[in-house]
Amino acid sequence: MTKKHSVLLKEEKCEGCTNCVKGCPTKAIRVHQGKAWIKEDLCIDCAECIRACEYHAKYTKTDQLSEILESEYPILLIPPSFYSQFSAKISAQKIKKAIKKLGFKEVFDVADAAAALSRKTLDFLNNNSGTYISTSCPVIVRLIKLQFPDLIEMLIPLKSPVELIAERVERKFKEEKNIVPDIFFLTPCPAKLTTVQRAIGQKTSFLSGAIGVENIYQNIYESLEDIVLEEEENQLTTLATLWGSEGGEESILKSWQNINTLSVSGISEVKKLLDEIERNNIPEAIRYFELTSCTNGCIGGVLNVINPFQSQFNLEERIKKIREIMQKQNIDLIRKDDEFYNFALSNKITADNVSKLDNDFKKAMQKLEQLQKEIEILPGLDCAACGAPDCKTFAEDVINGRASRTDCIFMLREQLGRLADDLSILANELPPVMGSKKEEADDS
Amino acid sequence: MSLQKQQILNKEIESFDFQSGGEASSNLKNILRKLGVPSQTVRKTAIITYELEMNVVIHSLGGELTALISEEELEIRVDDSGPGIEDLDKAFTAGYSTASDEIREMGFGAGMGLVNVKRYADQIDVKSSKEEGTHVKVIINLTN
Repeated sequence: MTKKHSVLLKEEKCEGCTNCVKGCPTKAIRVHQGKAWIKEDLCIDCAECIRACEYHAKYTKTDQLSEILESEYPILLIPPSFYSQFSAKISAQKIKKAIKKLGFKEVFDVADAAAALSRKTLDFLNNNSGTYISTSCPVIVRLIKLQFPDLIEMLIPLKSPVELIAERVERKFKEEKNIVPDIFFLTPCPAKLTTVQRAIGQKTSFLSGAIGVENIYQNIYESLEDIVLEEEENQLTTLATLWGSEGGEESILKSWQNINTLSVSGISEVKKLLDEIERNNIPEAIRYFELTSCTNGCIGGVLNVINPFQSQFNLEERIKKIREIMQKQNIDLIRKDDEFYNFALSNKITADNVSKLDNDFKKAMQKLEQLQKEIEILPGLDCAACGAPDCKTFAEDVINGRASRTDCIFMLREQLGRLADDLSILANELPPVMGSKKEEADDS
Repeated sequence: MSLQKQQILNKEIESFDFQSGGEASSNLKNILRKLGVPSQTVRKTAIITYELEMNVVIHSLGGELTALISEEELEIRVDDSGPGIEDLDKAFTAGYSTASDEIREMGFGAGMGLVNVKRYADQIDVKSSKEEGTHVKVIINLTN
């Protein structure tokens, strides 16, 4: 059975508590028979349940290093956030060499495509009116598809940096070396992994797979020990390493042009912002939103190894060094190699209409009425003991036949109370035959 | 085919209650999604109801928002108990606002409220008097 998602449940570890149920931003989890099941249609791979679970019962299924290295021509793509997992004293070149030594044929920086994408984004914003939302965080795109479908048109129709570089690398190897490479992504989050199977705005992903940072970090760390750089190699690369943390994309754009942008991170904050956007309660002057599901951006990804605060420091230190180098050079706004990227999304991003009660309006109206009645009956304590996150969601499950009213312990108690009353009445009511006998006995 | 509209929401709106201002609009948005109303219509409704709701919060002594629906149209009624709009024509003029400086400092009162409502509504009807307050009725078509 192929799973649509990469956040999964380790059944044996789940204690059946409802921490993940209550923490899920799309209300996708229900505890049923003591285990927390994820509803695939509603999951957006944000990993909040992994963060919420004390028992580590929610996990991410990524590729394993040994499996990846079995492929014929493995290539690894490194996201900007990965450099936050190391002290800035360890150069990017050294880290990349250490990765290659593990058995990868080549490694590439996603930051290179991110820089090109930022240039393209600026170009797009200057040639189009209106306000746009970055498509780089797949969780945000899925959140919009699911809960804010009317904002889909605000998603900038450009590929994410990972897909951009993967497509370019694939073409490069095919054309130059007649090799079809297997391209893997070193991912800080489960969401990017899911896009390998379910690409957004594209027919298929250009990636063959993805490996979580936590699944390879130890190997890289050990491999680093005997790496000696032959000469003073160029310190990386591009300022787009900034993309690794919140506000990075924004500050790249602003470094070129005075443009109104806003960055928001953390899925609950993003949801609040989207609500405000939806009712036109955000200044129209803002042209671009950089939104990331993880607090602090990709460095806050759940598959990272180093804590996000240390990561933030590491990344800032590294960026300081990059800025020093950059000051000595003149960086052009448009690079010649930008033309090698194919920025446009090939498919339209479509809504996931799962909130409908029924396809037929009249039936939906009937269900809505039932739903409102059901909500009235329920205690409204949102205790989650029924396995749903709150009474309203439970009510919806009930009217859709996915739960029964007595799954609510309060409703069950009420029903038991009524039953007990009936029982006592019945118990005290003697059958007429017995009654008459008793009377006779009394008489004698 | 019944033209009878059914009430799907009725919510009280309190004067100067900025904490819950916007709740009626959020609730209505969720209900419309459950009914399968097209997303662009949901957006229009969210904008309209939020504007009207905030008008009640900012300018009135309190009121209520009622939404009724049939397969053909959505009707939103916002009724408050005063003090009424002094000059209705001016209220429909872009940039005109009677909001206090304090309210403007909060980012409201740009004078686009009713102008925006009119822009997104298919029909709008406003009745207002000092004695009886302001009564807005908005119709949004659900059939193309």
